[in-house]
Amino acid sequence: MKPGLGLAIAVLAVAVVFVVGCLADLSRARVRNIPKWGWAVLICVTIPWGGLAYLIFGRDWTRPAGPAPPPPSLPDVPGVPDVPGMPVARPHVPRRAPGAPVVIEVDRLTKRFGPVTAVDDLSFAVRPGTVTGFLGPNGAGKTTTLRVILGLNAPTSGTALVGGRRYQDFIRPLRQVGSLLDATALPGGRAAWFHLLAIAQSNGIGRRRVSEVLELTGLETVATRRTGEFSLGMKQRLGIAAALLADPPVLLLDEPVNGLDPEGIHWIRQLLRAMAAQGRTILVSSHLMSEMAQTADHLIIIGRGRLLADTSTAQFIAGARHDVLVRSPRAGELASLLAASGAKVRREDDGALAVNGMDQATVGDLAVSRGIAVHELMARHASLEEAYLAITGTSTDYRAGGALSPAAPAGTAVR
Amino acid sequence: MTAQQLHAAGPAGAGAGAGDAPARLIRARDVLASEWTKLRSLRSNRLTVAIAAVVTLGLTAVVAATFVAAPGARHHGAAGAPAPPVDRLATSFLAFAEYTVLPVTVLSVLVFTSEYSSGLIRTTFAAVPGRRAVLAAKAAVTGAAALVIGEVLAFACFFLAQAIFTGKHGGLSLTSPGALRAVLAAGFTLAACALVGVGVGAVIRHTAGAIAAAIALVALLAAVCLALPAPWNVRLGRLTLPFAAYQEVTAHPSAGLFSPDRSWLILVAWPAAVLLIAAIVLTRRDV
Repeated sequence: MKPGLGLAIAVLAVAVVFVVGCLADLSRARVRNIPKWGWAVLICVTIPWGGLAYLIFGRDWTRPAGPAPPPPSLPDVPGVPDVPGMPVARPHVPRRAPGAPVVIEVDRLTKRFGPVTAVDDLSFAVRPGTVTGFLGPNGAGKTTTLRVILGLNAPTSGTALVGGRRYQDFIRPLRQVGSLLDATALPGGRAAWFHLLAIAQSNGIGRRRVSEVLELTGLETVATRRTGEFSLGMKQRLGIAAALLADPPVLLLDEPVNGLDPEGIHWIRQLLRAMAAQGRTILVSSHLMSEMAQTADHLIIIGRGRLLADTSTAQFIAGARHDVLVRSPRAGELASLLAASGAKVRREDDGALAVNGMDQATVGDLAVSRGIAVHELMARHASLEEAYLAITGTSTDYRAGGALSPAAPAGTAVR
Repeated sequence: MTAQQLHAAGPAGAGAGAGDAPARLIRARDVLASEWTKLRSLRSNRLTVAIAAVVTLGLTAVVAATFVAAPGARHHGAAGAPAPPVDRLATSFLAFAEYTVLPVTVLSVLVFTSEYSSGLIRTTFAAVPGRRAVLAAKAAVTGAAALVIGEVLAFACFFLAQAIFTGKHGGLSLTSPGALRAVLAAGFTLAACALVGVGVGAVIRHTAGAIAAAIALVALLAAVCLALPAPWNVRLGRLTLPFAAYQEVTAHPSAGLFSPDRSWLILVAWPAAVLLIAAIVLTRRDV
């Protein structure tokens, strides 16, 4: 039975009971005053309306009218993963090579909300052919920057251009820039297919492409379900589907891996890499350092609205702090010896020494030359996570009190 | 913006069919299609309209039957005064004025506020940076749907009520003086209220506040005016939507209020004013 049929019958039944009940309540005498054919008119008008309501509203509008056949309904089994039969790293088949490479240029951008400066004189460029990670602590201004690029927020000063033009100047901007700002921003009552169709139509994109992106993101089996029923992972996929609708040369994604399971994270990483390899310009914001280390080739790091770093991922890690950890029963003696040789030595809480400006071998040789026993000798390299904490340590707006003091070196923070 | 710019902007070309149409027209067509899809794909919209239609018709029959059963001498407890002669025209639209106008107004408010509350508005404005085009498309689609629903229901209410009246007082026909105007105006009033709802939703953005404001404009303001001291109740009251609509649908227009011909202006002015304010604030605010 069509879902609308039961509904129409129910509405009709309620209406009839309601009307008849009201009429009867007026009193028998008055009911009798209604001419016989008045009743006929009442019935004749009400029932066609019910029929009309069924025809118009009862029709299963939620089934896509596009060329795609109605997808099979999902078995309603609890505990089934987000998207059953979810494709993992389905290769993205581009419909066409993107046109001329498009660069995102942010130039001396400042955005103030009253007394709060969210973005402060920020300049950077995002180049095609790479995945650029956009990093920063909470409240650093990442989302504000993306909103300004997308023309949603007006900058206080400065410019943000895509391909040399303001975003607002594109007639069909989705064909130039695909974006995902907030995956949970969905119309809960609308089927996923219609949500995408409305976005597609607003930029003159055909129905077939809607089916394509649903397939690409592994959502084709849930296309007719209302988005309010989606899990966070499915919402993320739907948001990415919307961003890919017009197969744009530029992608702006705000926290796209939030809520995705490991397969989903792997899938999106592959997708972003493949899209970048095709020469597209991709800017991905995230707070997951480890994820960015594996996905992004280039990093733009901001804190309190200011640019902290604009560098390749490899350089960023290489340039990060590294030191030598040495543990000795005669630590004090060793420390003064190393300091005398030009190294910077710091005593850690557990009595070990952190040595800067000297490599592992030199520390060991010096210790042996004075006959000092060494129980542990280890070179330590900061991970991307540590490098990030070191660079943003002084610019974090919200932080668990005392867990990290701004002066705490990266190495100790993780011990 | 030229068509050339558009081509530069849209390398995808798929389904564009842009041709040489000016950019504005292309955007208008795109956004209208998109907003129509949004309006028709919400089950709650269809359900609310269906229920409103059924309840309106049912209550129209009840109201008409009550008037038929109660002769003119009948005293109404609340009013206390002898009931005036039955206005067979206005009575047809009593139920319509509440049980269709209010739900449709609320739905129209939700056109914007639901997108603001979910954050979907950013997706919408990122897809169509021309925010006034979005406002125009939403208003056009909602207004057109309300106009069709309003006219269909107004005709149905009229015929239903008159059929029941025929027994006692003699029913009117569409050719009776003022009848056709009343029916058309009743349907138009629904569209006007829907447009007010769309505009108020765009200005206030928060669902609860916007619904309260929209209901105030399309209904409560008139009641407030009634409570004012003598000359002002009419002077201000005649500017409100309900009184303007009443002048259109009644067989005996009040002398103190605007004439039916002028009242059309009131019916047009309210949505125009609200949509104008919406157009101004929409482009000035961040989303």
